[in-house]
Amino acid sequence: MAADPRDEFEATLDRTAEGREREAGAALQRASLRRDAFYRFIKNRGAVFAAVAFVVLLGYVIVAPWVSPADPYAIDFSKAYLSPSWDHPFGTDEFGRDLFVRTALGGRLSIAIGFAGTIAIMIIGILYGAIAGFAGGWIDNGSMRFLDALYGLPYLPFAIIVLAIFGTVSFWAMVVALTVASWFTTARVMRGQIISLKENDYVRAARALGARWHRILFRHLLPNTLGVIIIFVFLELPGVVLGEAFLSFIGLGVNPPKASWGTLAQDGYTSYQAHPYIIIIPSLAIAWLILSAFFVADGLRDALDPRTKET
Amino acid sequence: MRTLEVNDLRTYFKTREGEVRAVDGVSFALDEGKTLGIVGESGCGKSVTVLSIMGLVLPPGRVVSGSAHFQGRDLLTLKGRQLEDVRGRDIGMIFQDPMTSLNPTLTIGTQITEALRRHLGMTREQARKRAIELLQEARIPNAAKRLDDYPHRYSGGMRQRVMIAIAISCNPKLLIADEPTTALDVTVQAGVLDLLHELRDLHGMSMIIITHDMGVVAETADDIVVMYAGQIVEQATAYDLFDRPEHPYTEALLAALPQIEGEGIRHGRLVSIPGRPPDLIAPPPACRFAPRCRYAGEDDCAVVPPQLREIRPGHWVRSAHPACERAAETVGAR
Repeated sequence: MAADPRDEFEATLDRTAEGREREAGAALQRASLRRDAFYRFIKNRGAVFAAVAFVVLLGYVIVAPWVSPADPYAIDFSKAYLSPSWDHPFGTDEFGRDLFVRTALGGRLSIAIGFAGTIAIMIIGILYGAIAGFAGGWIDNGSMRFLDALYGLPYLPFAIIVLAIFGTVSFWAMVVALTVASWFTTARVMRGQIISLKENDYVRAARALGARWHRILFRHLLPNTLGVIIIFVFLELPGVVLGEAFLSFIGLGVNPPKASWGTLAQDGYTSYQAHPYIIIIPSLAIAWLILSAFFVADGLRDALDPRTKET
Repeated sequence: MRTLEVNDLRTYFKTREGEVRAVDGVSFALDEGKTLGIVGESGCGKSVTVLSIMGLVLPPGRVVSGSAHFQGRDLLTLKGRQLEDVRGRDIGMIFQDPMTSLNPTLTIGTQITEALRRHLGMTREQARKRAIELLQEARIPNAAKRLDDYPHRYSGGMRQRVMIAIAISCNPKLLIADEPTTALDVTVQAGVLDLLHELRDLHGMSMIIITHDMGVVAETADDIVVMYAGQIVEQATAYDLFDRPEHPYTEALLAALPQIEGEGIRHGRLVSIPGRPPDLIAPPPACRFAPRCRYAGEDDCAVVPPQLREIRPGHWVRSAHPACERAAETVGAR
């Protein structure tokens, strides 16, 4: 689903790694890269717009349940299937629950799962890839071939099997299910990054100081990959959110009365002809999140590549 | 007292084309408080020699044989952890390019205190205090303030001073400087060399200085080793080597120096050594300099490998025809 931008991203990384080797004395440039990157990002209107949209969505999800007087769990059949109005901006569902608040709550859950899953993917992927790349030799070879084997396994069946093993669909079951087969790309990219970084003179200098391998890896190398890690967070997040929505939609989501965007959309599916807004609103929310995150990632990628033309 | 004694060091690199004998039987000794200069052109194995001693040769490179005795221990047989304890504490090292030898994402302070905390077990506060002193010793102005700066706010010369401060932070017995001035402006070079000299005397360190700049060793070294194609070709005190070079290669190196004053002044083009350094996968069978040597062919030196021999006390040379033995026929040739 999110394969395209990631592949493209990997290609860009390869290009920058090459460029980095070519530019002798690039350390100076790289040091002030962060600030330059910030200005380049600010200049990219699409990315800034997406970032604002992302923050607005987060704001809605966080604030709406606090300020809205409606009770998201109160069942009142007299108010079932109300179309959007001032009292209920997003209308109500078949039990008369206010969808404005429920969508926000669903968003909280979806985004929380999204972030938890992304963080888990990052931690596993970064550790796996960084250690493989840093160790090199047969450790690197072995772990990468293992990864190749895992790559062949389809992602959704994997997630479904994990949920089946857990039995009940809890928050953490969902996170595990979405993480278990999604960290491969991150691991690969991290490996490549570490391999190109570990050739740096400062690594040899640190070795000459008697620094141990873990210090070199975690203190000297990983901070240099921060830019890549930030981009990857915004690339993985939509994938995890979409995966959660998909699993919820096919009936493997969190249990009612809790809701996520996926389960809300599934609720609306049964009555999409009579009351289309019930399915449209959570779907739009998902699309909003995914698009804004992708555009932010795109902007960050351009901003962090020093050879992009100033636009 | 000997600080370091290296014997028959051999470091080979496995490549697809064959084994590159980057260092092929190097031996030297360094006395306490002395400075040894290792000179030679690019690729002659001078850097690999010291990297081997430090245990910093990475695969496909491998130290094949030899020993390097330092403080009663053979560094080449030490296990990883023991060697890590020696590096940075007993032996400090300075690298060629100060622009890339500092990590751009860590502050100068973090990088200086790294060894202090690692080897001497200092607390953050103690290490910080010591780091300021070290920066002052390395003549970084406003040291206390500049401690929290990132490397990109330092100039090349200042960064090399920082590297020196880091290398001496644990009061090592031996300081290895691998082309410490090559990447610097000429105007900055002298300052860095002075600093190295001063700190060596102040802390009573021994020093190995690697360079391809004859001027640098002339100024700083007590003894000089000339390397060519992975081997030592000449070894003598600095004075003797410059005064009476014996090996044709050393002579050629010295002749290639531009001179701007004195009796040796020349006009016109700079002198160069014809030919290129040999391929170290299949080096010339006997004397490795023979293909480029103007005296080769006079005898069997291209067939019988010349040994390193002591031509007069303290002056060793690996050549079939050192200057003192051919004086008669070549007078007037140069």
